[in-house]
Amino acid sequence: MAQRLLLRRFLASAISRKPPQSRWAPLISRALQTPQHRPGDLAITPSQARPLHTTRVCSTTFNIQDGPDFQDRVVNSETPVVVDFHAQWCGPCKILGPRLEKVVAKQHGKVVMAKVDIDDHTDLAIEYEVSAVPTVLAIKNGDVVDKFLVLISRPFWS
Amino acid sequence: MAATAATAVLAALRGFFGRFRWRPQAPALAGGVRGAARSAAAGRPDYDLLVIGGGSGGLACAKEAAQLGKKVAVVDYVEPSPRGTRWGLGGTCVNVGCIPKKLMHHAALLGAMIHDAPHYGWGVPQQVPHDWSKMAEAVQNYVKSLNWGHRVQLQERKVSYFNMKASFVDEHVVRGVTKGGKETLLSAKHIVIATGGRPRYPTEIEGALEHGITSDDIFWLKESPGKTLVVGGSYVALECAGFLTGLGLDTTVMIRSIPLRGFDQQMSALVTDYMASHGTRFLRGCTVMSVKRLPDSQLQVTWKELASGGEGTDTFNTVLWAVGRVAETRNLDLEKAGVDINPKSKKILVDAREATSVPHIYAIGDTAEGRPELTPTAIMAGRLLAQRLCGQSKDLMDYDNVPTTVFTPLEYGCVGLSEEEAVARHGADHVEVYHAYYKPLEFTVAERDASQCYIKMVCLRKPPKPVLGLHFLGPNAGEVTQGFALGIKCGASYAQVMRTVGIHPTCAEEVTKLRITKRSGMDPTVTGC
Repeated sequence: MAQRLLLRRFLASAISRKPPQSRWAPLISRALQTPQHRPGDLAITPSQARPLHTTRVCSTTFNIQDGPDFQDRVVNSETPVVVDFHAQWCGPCKILGPRLEKVVAKQHGKVVMAKVDIDDHTDLAIEYEVSAVPTVLAIKNGDVVDKFLVLISRPFWS
Repeated sequence: MAATAATAVLAALRGFFGRFRWRPQAPALAGGVRGAARSAAAGRPDYDLLVIGGGSGGLACAKEAAQLGKKVAVVDYVEPSPRGTRWGLGGTCVNVGCIPKKLMHHAALLGAMIHDAPHYGWGVPQQVPHDWSKMAEAVQNYVKSLNWGHRVQLQERKVSYFNMKASFVDEHVVRGVTKGGKETLLSAKHIVIATGGRPRYPTEIEGALEHGITSDDIFWLKESPGKTLVVGGSYVALECAGFLTGLGLDTTVMIRSIPLRGFDQQMSALVTDYMASHGTRFLRGCTVMSVKRLPDSQLQVTWKELASGGEGTDTFNTVLWAVGRVAETRNLDLEKAGVDINPKSKKILVDAREATSVPHIYAIGDTAEGRPELTPTAIMAGRLLAQRLCGQSKDLMDYDNVPTTVFTPLEYGCVGLSEEEAVARHGADHVEVYHAYYKPLEFTVAERDASQCYIKMVCLRKPPKPVLGLHFLGPNAGEVTQGFALGIKCGASYAQVMRTVGIHPTCAEEVTKLRITKRSGMDPTVTGC
């Protein structure tokens, strides 16, 4: 609990320092502007900007479909990406995944999360030197800038 | 904890505290793969060692050779079963053999323990339901973690891995084809064939292929197999029937002639006696004539009783064929490399060095003729072979006195010769058999039937009476037999076994107390301390 409060404060200060030319900002401001009418267009009104924002929050986490998808949405992403390498058979992954999703969702698009099932994408996981799971990578401009493994232990009686 | 770690990651992404910047290397195999045909033609092989088959033997051999500095590649491919079952890296043992088998056997034993528990004061309800799907998912998940573990190990030891179906182009070049049809040529100085085997379908029986499953499928079923007919008398048949019965399923075993061919027959009879008195139905001396699918999707099986000529029929949800295994050599194009096989068994002919008819091509594991079909022997043979190929050793694999255990409901562990083998080799007059029926302490309070708990030790009659074979039927037989295998390997004599103090109270200690011989005709039942 204390950790979560710390995290929120830490990230809040980080977000305020972030330069205004972040990738998401222009999209929001465009949606809020009076749209240029073109024949056959659906008018976008400011009130419709809200559902757009909600959708973006839900899509801050996505599952990788294949190699090209990873290349496209992670390596070539302008937004930094947290990559969660997980497996169906991995208990700790099931605990970490939702927690990570929550933390990332709260970044409101400043960082997104890609989930990679290592059984479906074994070669990709091997390429990124994953051994134990869950392994979480931070990828910015195509480079891995950080990595952590999580060992979640619980007392056997709980 | 997760939140703190997540914080660090997010901080790194902001670029201020990034600890390192890194991109993955391009796959190392690029040059080797493309240049295969060229370099093979130029006389320069891509690899020092190419291993065909990523199972127990193949992986052990590959990893050992890589550790000793060789450039190694493994080519593994799993042809889906007729039912469509497929699995990952690791071979039969990991995916459709030892591992899932032992886990399901354990699940069944837990059922028996739950049944015993009230005797020891536990307030456990008598009827406890078993959920096949939950067990299967847990077992399958564990197996998948092993597939991944093997993949990581190959990567860590810098062994190139190809998920391709291999066949020989010539004696130094192998063609690999991916599931998608993409072809690659690989050349190597030495080649090890470790393609193992697959279950045999009795295609001569009407409906066998269309409606039956094998051990390739049973461990991967998401739903319970229900009322099952297991056909066969092999350890595969008995182990499967054993755990199915233990999990509460209506199970029948059909054996054409004898159970556990090749094993000591007195012990084999006790194994099946135990199963028969604990809920497994046996149809002895019968063979299946046909399997038909009924409108309600059950299977109608008709069989012939060989002795009487009569017929029998019954309906089942599942028919499991356990009628032998066939070496996976059919699709290797071995003739192109000049590798000889036994035309009947289809297994590859090898010498004591595991070498085939072609000097630089070897074969280990289930695919090789005359070898035990066991994981530990394949692994050891693979490692020793790698050491010999790297010039590290001259040691050959010793296939004598290999211990093993049949994990039937009452387990049977053995090492060395069966009684009939000892008699055949040395003559009945020169063999002394010590034996005893005993009762495991844990069976007493739980009022369990110990009629088949039995041990026999086969020795040479002539002093120092070396132990030729040990046979143990009882709980934890594998754990019991392992230690005694060392004794036999060291040439233990009957006197040495008798001078070994037993650990009390255990079942294993009964081995150190074997005094009664078969020859004496005395009652071999152990009575108390």
